[in-house]
Amino acid sequence: MGHCIHTTGLNYFFSKKEQVLHDIHLHVPEGSIYGFLGPNGAGKTTTLRLLLGLLRQQSGDIHIFGQPFEPNRQSILGRIGSLIESPSLYSHLTARENLMIWQKVYQCPKNRIEAVLRLTGIADTGEKKTGQFSLGMKQRLGIAVALLHAPRLLILDEPTNGLDPGGIVEMRELLRQINQESGITIVISSHLLSEIEKLVTDVGIIHRGKMQFEGPLDELMRVRRSHSSLVIETGAPDKALALAQQTCGEARLINGKINLPHQDKTTIAALNHQFVMADIPVYQITGKEDDLESIFMQMTATTPTQNPLL
Amino acid sequence: MIHSIQSEWLKTRRSLASWLVVIGGLFIPLIFLYDRLRHFSTMAENNAKPGIWTYYFKQCWQYMSILLLPLGIILTVSLITQIEYRNNTWKQVHTTPQRLSTIFLAKLVVILTMLLQFFLIFNGGIWLIVALPSVFGTVDYPSAPIPLDTFGEFNHRFLVGSLPIVGLQYLLSLHFRNFMVPLGVGLAIFVATIIGLNWEYGYLIPYSYLSYFFMNNTQHLLDQGINIYYCALGYFAVFTGLAWLSYRYQRSKN
Ligand SMILES: Nc1ncnc2c1ncn2[C@@H]1O[C@H](COP(=O)(O)OP(=O)(O)OP(=O)(O)O)[C@@H](O)[C@H]1O
Ligand SMILES: [Mg+2]
Repeated sequence: MGHCIHTTGLNYFFSKKEQVLHDIHLHVPEGSIYGFLGPNGAGKTTTLRLLLGLLRQQSGDIHIFGQPFEPNRQSILGRIGSLIESPSLYSHLTARENLMIWQKVYQCPKNRIEAVLRLTGIADTGEKKTGQFSLGMKQRLGIAVALLHAPRLLILDEPTNGLDPGGIVEMRELLRQINQESGITIVISSHLLSEIEKLVTDVGIIHRGKMQFEGPLDELMRVRRSHSSLVIETGAPDKALALAQQTCGEARLINGKINLPHQDKTTIAALNHQFVMADIPVYQITGKEDDLESIFMQMTATTPTQNPLL
Repeated sequence: MIHSIQSEWLKTRRSLASWLVVIGGLFIPLIFLYDRLRHFSTMAENNAKPGIWTYYFKQCWQYMSILLLPLGIILTVSLITQIEYRNNTWKQVHTTPQRLSTIFLAKLVVILTMLLQFFLIFNGGIWLIVALPSVFGTVDYPSAPIPLDTFGEFNHRFLVGSLPIVGLQYLLSLHFRNFMVPLGVGLAIFVATIIGLNWEYGYLIPYSYLSYFFMNNTQHLLDQGINIYYCALGYFAVFTGLAWLSYRYQRSKN
């Protein structure tokens, strides 16, 4: 499978002292929905701006649609729709007039205007100036602008900003739909993994300007599974701990509960049997899966060399 | 290119700048029209005078060329580029498949078109001062013909005299996100112009040509081999060139 976006060795300095991006390698598969994750200030927006040519490239290579970006700037940009940071709207004009401005530039069919208005659910704003739109309506129009010319690649920087829960679900459905129907590649940045975990097929995680992880969502899930654990609550923690350590080797007492690494079913049954035989009351046995959020936190809380996951 | 201009033109729809052009163009003529109607009794007599057109043309342009037009251009050019800064839309403009030069020129064309629009409205306004009362049949339409050649020549020079202001204001307002900078610098040069009119090198000030053209006293400069018509065009070329370079090599495209 080809890569829709492929970068090597992107570095970026806003000033001599402040290096914001370190050697960013991105590989966005064709047709994927790629979640670009990182906490505030990680460098997501800076990276996306570089991809779109909004910042002057200082080092490294950017290939989009298999072509180097700079020499093919116009033909590449013609096939990208983008929403960076905040929707770009002319506040003294209506939604339709705003779209007309971009329609003229892209020279796409006029009926696309109504189509994207309906798609994003703001077809009935009529004569209302976008300056009077609510945050969520602005965001929707921003997405409509990005979709207007039926791009092959969509780059969305935190597009769910300001959307209500219903809006977030709608947006997720919309993106999934256009991805499946027309095979368009979508890059979507976020600082909340939970928000896009149900949507994306691939993930890149950036922290302090360095890539911490890149790969299919499955791979991230495998990492998560290897970090799941077993929690047992008993009436005699110390006695139980000794038994658990005997059986499974590694076991710790946290908040009076026994924590074990991932175990198979027979081991769990055996352990439970031992407890019962030793007259230890067992109140609860639960499997605790580290959710993606905490994996994400672990990855971004430490530097790569100390990172236990990598 | 034509599509880029259409797109830029759409952005000015209902904008403050587009209102400024209309209001600025009609403001002075309306005052004179009001003044005429107030002195209704002398109107018929005045309309019979051969110099009636020239009289109002000069009266209107006096305030316009020295005072209002420079200020109006300073404001309008800032407002036009401010549309992108204020709405945070440069980033979207710069991710469209347009050459930077196309974007730069399309905006400049829109500004120059607005300037032309203003000239048309203002001249139309001057015509209305004299002609409107006769439309209602109260007085006869002036018998004297409109001296189109002279008016054309003046308009032509005023247009050229406006260009250096357009050029420098475009440079400043493209470069600085904060619109106080182009406004402040523009006003400073404007004040310098007014003070500098009595100074022998006043013609070096790029905003001074509208005044020189109005006062029509450039003979002594011509005698020294200085043609301010070409000075104005030269300044415009230099400012526009610099504006392009500063725009082209801006580090961040916002
Ligand atoms: N114009 C600028 N000048 C100087 N530094 C900047 C500029 N823009 C961003 N930075 C710095 O670059 C770093 C990365 O910023 P960036 O906007 O890329 O983060 P982000 O991942 O998009 O964060 P967020 O989730 O808050 O949007 C930050 O430390 C920020 O201070
Ligand atoms: Mg950001």
